[in-house]
Amino acid sequence: MTSNSTLTSIMSTHKHRLISTLLASLLGLASLQSAAFDLKGALKDAVEKEIGQKTDSQTSPTEAASSTDSAKANSSTASSEPAFNWKNPSTAEEISLGREIAGNLLGAAPLVKDAALQKYVNSVGRWVASQSERPELPWRFGVIESEDLNAFAAPGGYIMLTKGLYRKLQNEAQLAGVLGHEIAHVVKKHQLKVLQKQQLLSMGAGLLSDKYAKDNALISKAIGSGAEISARSLDKSAEYEADRLGLSYATRAGYEPYGLAEVLQTLGQSSSNDASVALLFKTHPHPDERLTALSDSVGTQLDKITSGKTLENRFYVLK
Amino acid sequence: MKHYLKHALILSSLVPLLYAGMSVAAEKGSALKNDSLRSEPFADAKVTGSFARGENLEIIKKQGAWLQVKSAKGSGWVRLLSVKRGTASTSNQAAGVLAVASGRAGTGQVVSTTGVRGLSEQELKAAKFNEEEVKTLESYTLSADKGRAFAKAGNLNSIAFKNLKEAKGGTQ
Repeated sequence: MTSNSTLTSIMSTHKHRLISTLLASLLGLASLQSAAFDLKGALKDAVEKEIGQKTDSQTSPTEAASSTDSAKANSSTASSEPAFNWKNPSTAEEISLGREIAGNLLGAAPLVKDAALQKYVNSVGRWVASQSERPELPWRFGVIESEDLNAFAAPGGYIMLTKGLYRKLQNEAQLAGVLGHEIAHVVKKHQLKVLQKQQLLSMGAGLLSDKYAKDNALISKAIGSGAEISARSLDKSAEYEADRLGLSYATRAGYEPYGLAEVLQTLGQSSSNDASVALLFKTHPHPDERLTALSDSVGTQLDKITSGKTLENRFYVLK
Repeated sequence: MKHYLKHALILSSLVPLLYAGMSVAAEKGSALKNDSLRSEPFADAKVTGSFARGENLEIIKKQGAWLQVKSAKGSGWVRLLSVKRGTASTSNQAAGVLAVASGRAGTGQVVSTTGVRGLSEQELKAAKFNEEEVKTLESYTLSADKGRAFAKAGNLNSIAFKNLKEAKGGTQ
């Protein structure tokens, strides 16, 4: 084995690990338990692989090996770019990270082969996103081949919903509400923040550089019960926040404001034993709790809004 | 001929829908919060009664953002967001038509299951990056102007509305 191919294999291991870590947190972003478990698991895996990799292929002193590994881990995160600024990623970095995640999601479930559908969803999504605090992002929306009921957002404006969820929608206002919720996750950088926290922790936990080693005590404390608690409260509140903002964006866009609430009503009637909502229920508070929270936030603020449109007449019906 | 068939199909599918609409007149719901019942679907209409959080209601009809409901202590109109369709988790025995059809069962408590799923975590973790699909996804990206034109075509007018804030005293 030439040193060159060794390097490649290390790089690809890093890349795979990164991707599974990213995906794990994409899924876990709302659920404390799963986020916490994923976090722990990913960290453990990372450390174990790191050790295995070193004994397999490295003979240099630990310290040197560690710092090169750290640099590689860092550079592989941004694919072709030299380094990814995890502490304060730029919009371009955020988008490239989102692209990576979206590409993996699409690897599991491709786009529905219906250009008219995709165009329609992008039209609604683009208009709703223009009412958000980040209208300048290159927003992209897609319906993916899955009968599950779920929707996903990745940093930088990549948003996908399943065909199963789309099928449950009855009008454009409901679609606007669902997309609004996902747009809000991107605007508030909910996923990005989870990834940043995880990545910074993982870089530290691997004891890859002196800079992070110093904070070791703090880190192991965070990986313990502390991380679980912070992940829990952050994620649950992030979902409620996305509901409030999603409703707000759709309302500003001129839609009937209750679209998202109606979808939550529908989801609330699914059994938690139903496989198609298993992941959604695991990663979000129960729809009933979300409705109650939304209802409390709304109060009387929607009473005077009577001009909102549902536009069922132009709602694109799946073939 | 084709059009005729299409109309016939739509009509024939509407009939059962109308019937369903009537039978759903007895759809069950439950109160998400304490609220007042009003004589008409307006915030300033006369109060005709009230209900408490968790109370079972009968949903009579929906009009815009309002539902006409029947509670143990009278009937009237209430905001859509004050009511959850389906029954309160404590009385699943009396679940409505819709709830039964959707297979709602058990206590309504959400428990993370580890059973077989559709788009499972395992599947997602094992997924491989698909460059071609991302490119296709990106090819659908629209400009803000295109979005505006689409809104205009549907007579959608953007309105001033401030972002909703978290309710005082937390979300629960």
